[in-house]
Amino acid sequence: MSSSDRRHASEANPRVRLSVIGIVVMALFCTLLARLWFLQAGAGQKLAAVATRNSVRIVQTPGLRGRLLDDKGRVLAQNRVENAILVDRKITPQNLKLVVARLAFMLQVPPASIEKRLNDKRISPYRPVPVATGVSIDAITVIKEHQQDFPGVEADQIPIRSYPGGSLGAHVLGYTGEVSDAELKQQRDAHYQLGETVGKSGAEQMFESELRGKPQIDKIEVDSRGKPLRTVDERPAGPGHDVQLTIDLDIQQTAEQTLADAMRQARGLRDASAKSGSGRFAAPAGSVVVLNAQDGSVVAMASNPTYDPNEFLNGIPTDQFKALNDPANHFPLIDRAVQGQYAPGSTWKTFSAIAALDAGVTSPGRVINDNGSIKVGGFTFHNAGGTRNGAISLQKALTVSSDVYFYTLGADFWGRFHRGDTTTGYAIQNSARTYGFGQPTDVGLDGEAAGRIPDEAFKKDFNKNQPNPRVKAENSIWLPGDSVNLAVGQGDLLVTPLQLARGYAAFANGGELLTPRLASQIRDYDSPTVVRDLAPHTLASTHLDPAARSAILAGLEGVPRTGTAAQPFKGFPFDKVSIAGKTGTAEVNNKSTTSLFVGIMPTDNPQYVVAAVVEEAGFGSAVAAPIVRTILEKLAGLAPSNPLVAAPKAID
Amino acid sequence: MATISSAPSARRAMLSDRRARIEASPLRHLDVLLIAAVIGTAGLGLLMVYSATRNTVRGDPLHYVRRQGVFVFVGVLLMAAVMAVDYRKLRDLSVLVYGGLIFGLLAVLSPVGSRSKGTQGWFQLPGGFQLQPSEFAKFALVIAVAGYCYQHRGDLDAWRLTVAVSLAVVPIGLVMLQPDLGSAMVMALIVIAILAVAGLRGRQMIVLLALAATGIFAVVNLGVLKQYQVDRLTSFLNQGGDKKRATYNVDQSKTAVANGQLTGRGLFHGTQTQLGFVPEQRTDFIFTVVGEELGFLGGATLLALFAIIVWRTWRTARLAGDFFGTLVCVGFLAMFTFQIFENVGMTMGIMPITGLPLPFMSYGGSSVIAYFACIGLIASIHMRRFA
Repeated sequence: MSSSDRRHASEANPRVRLSVIGIVVMALFCTLLARLWFLQAGAGQKLAAVATRNSVRIVQTPGLRGRLLDDKGRVLAQNRVENAILVDRKITPQNLKLVVARLAFMLQVPPASIEKRLNDKRISPYRPVPVATGVSIDAITVIKEHQQDFPGVEADQIPIRSYPGGSLGAHVLGYTGEVSDAELKQQRDAHYQLGETVGKSGAEQMFESELRGKPQIDKIEVDSRGKPLRTVDERPAGPGHDVQLTIDLDIQQTAEQTLADAMRQARGLRDASAKSGSGRFAAPAGSVVVLNAQDGSVVAMASNPTYDPNEFLNGIPTDQFKALNDPANHFPLIDRAVQGQYAPGSTWKTFSAIAALDAGVTSPGRVINDNGSIKVGGFTFHNAGGTRNGAISLQKALTVSSDVYFYTLGADFWGRFHRGDTTTGYAIQNSARTYGFGQPTDVGLDGEAAGRIPDEAFKKDFNKNQPNPRVKAENSIWLPGDSVNLAVGQGDLLVTPLQLARGYAAFANGGELLTPRLASQIRDYDSPTVVRDLAPHTLASTHLDPAARSAILAGLEGVPRTGTAAQPFKGFPFDKVSIAGKTGTAEVNNKSTTSLFVGIMPTDNPQYVVAAVVEEAGFGSAVAAPIVRTILEKLAGLAPSNPLVAAPKAID
Repeated sequence: MATISSAPSARRAMLSDRRARIEASPLRHLDVLLIAAVIGTAGLGLLMVYSATRNTVRGDPLHYVRRQGVFVFVGVLLMAAVMAVDYRKLRDLSVLVYGGLIFGLLAVLSPVGSRSKGTQGWFQLPGGFQLQPSEFAKFALVIAVAGYCYQHRGDLDAWRLTVAVSLAVVPIGLVMLQPDLGSAMVMALIVIAILAVAGLRGRQMIVLLALAATGIFAVVNLGVLKQYQVDRLTSFLNQGGDKKRATYNVDQSKTAVANGQLTGRGLFHGTQTQLGFVPEQRTDFIFTVVGEELGFLGGATLLALFAIIVWRTWRTARLAGDFFGTLVCVGFLAMFTFQIFENVGMTMGIMPITGLPLPFMSYGGSSVIAYFACIGLIASIHMRRFA
């Protein structure tokens, strides 16, 4: 290469390199443009949302909670206005310290308790904190008159949930409390705030979405230091809806009172079986269900022992919480009407009879000779008390509650089962299912039990973990005794009081299985305007044969007149109000018998079914029947006869 | 035959046209597009500085924008003054310019200079103004290196290259002592770009780039910088990572830009901007105001204005009347491009965070005035390309 050539190349070089630089520059600008597009039009949506969250804080103030009303519009749960002292946390730390000290002195509480509330992270920092509620009007006056000594303190009236009836209807109404972390997670869409009040049980929980007030939502714009600048948007609060329950306050009151009275009385009775240590009945718990037989409305539902939901307002004190969970107090929080599971005893005979007639195992005219006992599958089964009823039909068997009659039916069912006719062999089980047993009633209350209908599959499942293969094999077979026990409501059968009442309602109304209804209307707050009617719901037809119904009903009508409940219904004006019923005295392993009674009123076109169950209380006629009589009298508008006072005779 | 007779007359016409161009006032060849783009950018910058600062000084929303207005005004005057001077005079004075540059950088490191935000890089002036010599150092360095390369055009052997690099290393080292890593990087890039066009061979170029990379590595790792400066610098590599404090700037900045979406939140309506979520917003992070309040449309428009400035600079480099003019333009081209890419890229999380201002947009007197001077020089070269 000559020197002039080299010079030439070097001359050309700058222009080439300049072009290269131009291309590099263009590429860099394109990169910036692409990145800008990516951020602002592509993946930027998420970051843009971050910007909004950066600058806007949402402050939620709960709206007024709707009320719970009884069937006649009387208030069961409401909001009481209470004087409260609130402290604004945005004041200077020195002022805060001063204010805490002065408030503590004035209210006679330790400063730490006020500080604890002030430091409660669950309350939005943009809202004043209620540090004391239920404050005397004097304290409020002092603060208002010396406002300069209490910077950032305001006296206000805040709504507090209150149950004017105290413990009345506690299990149906339920109680409220601060929303838990689990509930927050579960109800993400409902946008609950920490510290907000929610229904924890009963109707308060069941109708939470209706009762909950529309919260006031303030969107506050804050700067990078979190200092509020202005309110961007505010949505005013609105009260929640009132819920009208189907409960009748008067009947509820009667039911709870008579249940408590009967339990107290039972504890004074001698326990012949002496299974309880004291020689008297323990009667630790019981429940009553009053159903409208035509539409399934729950007119009253009581569970004893009970509690006062007012005590749950500001978080329950530790000693009370301990008491509520102490076994010695028999767990008052349990709603035994829907969570208690009992052997129904002789009250079950109604359903055995329905199944037997339907399956053709017996007929109203069939007569069985009741000698007081019967031998089935190598075992002898006795009537309770060893009574001999002689030759009896189905009607009479129900009235006098003949076990032998139903043992015989049970043996017949087992015979069919044994010969391979499982349809007839399991007729009681199948019929029981159509009457709603073995599954929750879906009344809507939390924790409802399903009950239990035993059959061979159940026995297999129940004993699947039995280590001894011989015992396991024996226990897994459906035996004659199982059918016999089932026919009289014993054995592995379990029902809840609400299931029992609903089953009787389906029988009484001619075969309509209803979903129990706890509320009839959703209304605007404190207004007659109806938002929504909650219609009764018929779940299914039980295909009850009218002839079978009248045969059984005739037997049940005899029970309070001449049968097992004649004593507790002595003097009842049957000519004015025709009633029917069935006693039950259920055997329980290692415990005294459960006392049960179910009543129907009136027998022509039945309106009400009343079921009473008292644990470890002896005969159905002694404890449960007087309860039902008292309630029926109240429902029918009769003068109360106080049947509990009459000395009960031990018959079932 | 028209073709035969027309050829000489066309040639004559071209010659007379060239003569006319040379004889005419240089003002006739003013690059109006360049000046318009620069004025437009500075105007947008004023608006954005206003939006970013109107809530920061209580009772005086115009505090910063008034000062920035003065800077722009002074900058325009200086630009006009530089344009009026024939750039070839500067070429002959390049040694003097270099001397002034070294003197200024030494002075700022002496007790005469003052310290702000961990950097010894300012002269405190009366009236609350500050002078930042490193901004003018870039201007001076371009003239000095371009002048040296012009003198030794075509014979850039190893020895002369060493001299050229040494010329550059002294001021770069002084800037690094402040420490102002961003400016040092810009200056290094300016030198590399000028040398590349001046005739650097491929092998030499590789050596030079390796040297620059080693230098940066050494600065980052040998304790010249404070740990937080290193964290900030490297934070773009692990955004949203566990060093939350280090990535706070870039996270908030990206959020602001993304919040703009296509058409922006509207002037004065960007929540990130108006509520003060983006740190250093009126200076280094001014682009986030454009991004958030004017959206992609505004951001793209600003990038287009910058593209025009850079394109006209590149074009002037090609058209320049002498090689000195070409090299000066290349130096400024490198400076503008790197600062724009680094600054805008940093706000969008694709470049490390260094304290480099966005030309004509960021609040700050020294930088605005210095960049106007650069534009003045480019315009001067453009105007005198026929002389």
